[in-house]
Amino acid sequence: MPELQDLTNRSIYILREAYAEFKKPAVLWSTGKDSTAVLQLCRHAFFGKVPFPVIHIDTGYKFKAMYEFRDRVSQEWGIDLIVAQNKQALREGVSPHNGKFECCTQLKTQALMSCLEENHFDALILAIRRDEHGIRAKERYFSPRDESFRWNYKDQPLEMWDQFQSMTQSGAHMRVHPILHWRELDVWEFVRQEKTPVHPMYYARNGKRYRSLGCEPCTFPIDSNASTIDEIVEELRETKIAERSGRAQDKEKSFTMQKLRALGYM
Amino acid sequence: MNVNIVVTGHVDHGKSTLIGRLLYDSESIKEGRVQEIQKLAEEYKKRFEFAYFLDAFDDEVKEERTIDTTGVMFKGKRNLYTLTDVPGHKEFIKNMLTGASHADIAVLVVSAPEGVQEQTRRHAFLLKMLGVKRLFVAVNRMDTTGYAVEAFQHIRAELLPLLTSFGYQDMPFIPVSAMEGDNVYKRSTRMEWYTGQTLIEAMDDIEVVREAKPPRFVVQDVYRVGIEEVAVGRVESGTFSAGDDVVFQPSGVRGRLQKIMVFRGEIPEGRAGDSVGLVTDARVQRGDVCGLAEQPPVARSTFLGEAVLLDKNLAGGEELEMKCGTRRVKCRVRELREKIDSETGQVLAKNPAGIDENEAALILFETEPMVVEKFADIPELGRFVLVRGKNIGAGIVLEAAG
Repeated sequence: MPELQDLTNRSIYILREAYAEFKKPAVLWSTGKDSTAVLQLCRHAFFGKVPFPVIHIDTGYKFKAMYEFRDRVSQEWGIDLIVAQNKQALREGVSPHNGKFECCTQLKTQALMSCLEENHFDALILAIRRDEHGIRAKERYFSPRDESFRWNYKDQPLEMWDQFQSMTQSGAHMRVHPILHWRELDVWEFVRQEKTPVHPMYYARNGKRYRSLGCEPCTFPIDSNASTIDEIVEELRETKIAERSGRAQDKEKSFTMQKLRALGYM
Repeated sequence: MNVNIVVTGHVDHGKSTLIGRLLYDSESIKEGRVQEIQKLAEEYKKRFEFAYFLDAFDDEVKEERTIDTTGVMFKGKRNLYTLTDVPGHKEFIKNMLTGASHADIAVLVVSAPEGVQEQTRRHAFLLKMLGVKRLFVAVNRMDTTGYAVEAFQHIRAELLPLLTSFGYQDMPFIPVSAMEGDNVYKRSTRMEWYTGQTLIEAMDDIEVVREAKPPRFVVQDVYRVGIEEVAVGRVESGTFSAGDDVVFQPSGVRGRLQKIMVFRGEIPEGRAGDSVGLVTDARVQRGDVCGLAEQPPVARSTFLGEAVLLDKNLAGGEELEMKCGTRRVKCRVRELREKIDSETGQVLAKNPAGIDENEAALILFETEPMVVEKFADIPELGRFVLVRGKNIGAGIVLEAAG
């Protein structure tokens, strides 16, 4: 399919720009379909390998199957895996039951922040897409975050003709979004074409499947009978249901996602 | 076909509402989103607006204006669209340009009761400069003028000479009401005097034609793959084939194209848009541009450009940086020849001392050697951004002489 080829070409271009422009990039991998597709795009861009570290933020609340999947794929693809966890917050009892906003901030954003500081990464490659959420639709391909991780969404860089702004202030880092222009359907068509490994949890069992994977307490399956990739692709062509409808942190209040992202959430 | 459409025009003329209406009537809005927006409108004590499908920042809802560009995708009958909404405020021109730079076609929205305004003109000028060759004019808010033909004709008469002076031809003017849904996705029964296409019909008729141009490839990096050095990058125009005799500039090296490589292995050809790797016997580096020996790229050190500034003051003689393709070089504003009004395209001053934010200029640049092409010949290498710690302006190459 030529359209998928166009999307792929652009993503490869963006990944190579990031690799050329930054001293120490890393890619974030939730083990979900999107970030696994980004790893596969890295393998395209860099002829079979992922030439920088891959960070997995472990909130401790992920599905057990995600850990098994992570370890299997990272071994198969020879990935330099960094597991980041906010152990202190977990010890102090931070959990989704005591406030989802705080939980996401502590176990995801804070864990990532410490990981970046320890490793001095200056660019983070993330698998967000415009069609996932209204706030993500406002993003640039190269999107700076300041030293406190804040996203200054009121003053985003001029980004014309794939001339990305690659400079950041000291202590700051760049978010790089190589599949910003993809739709959910495109990701699945890519997964099908590339035979990229995906979690079995995306396939329907007993009339339910996960469409977006997060932490176990805050992620809910949708009604679906799509038990193969072909069926998922067909389902997505017709569906009227939002992809992140099963993700609790998006709907706690209006603009929760904006606040999370302004603070450095992925 | 994938078509990129940017929706432009003055603030409050209904750009976001128009896109929201297209999404809503084409049933592209996901379940729950309408209820979410109703809830939001209640919370902010506002009426339900189609624009809220696009305006996702709380400041945008509160202030009822778009701050930054948004990209949404939806499928029409024939084409798959990326619709880009841009802000209509002068202070957000930077965001407008970001949104418009990838457009194949633009919709210029003009409010029937308000008529042509400052950003209507400025957006039209900037679209011309960016090389967006096709334009649709949507005369919006026809519901507020009683769907009368007079208001529509008045705007057409006012706008046509300006657009013609920018070189636009055959642009359809479509009377619409984004709020009420007339002539956007559904044909209106309230304007029988109009027999032309609805907006979606005009959109579905778009054919994006890629013109044949001399082959150019920009080098992003050089990787070692096995025992081979691979110059990775993108074919910006034309087609390269294994066996071609090629030249890289400004490195000034020649070679034979031995292989074109992708992850899965070798491919016989690299076409415009392809991200590939070239194996040659030449030593090259990031910033080089590759072309065929018989139509070689030329490294320049001066060229004449037209640029728009999005930051405070640029002075004649000033030194800064410039990016074109993957090359970043030092450059100097050798001659600031003309200051140009970014609303009308008129020359405001000859040889000014400097230009300020949102002003355009005709500039003779002096640069470290780099390949630039005349924008009219190979647009992909005929456009540049100006850098002063960050991207502060953009322009196109008018003459690549020296």
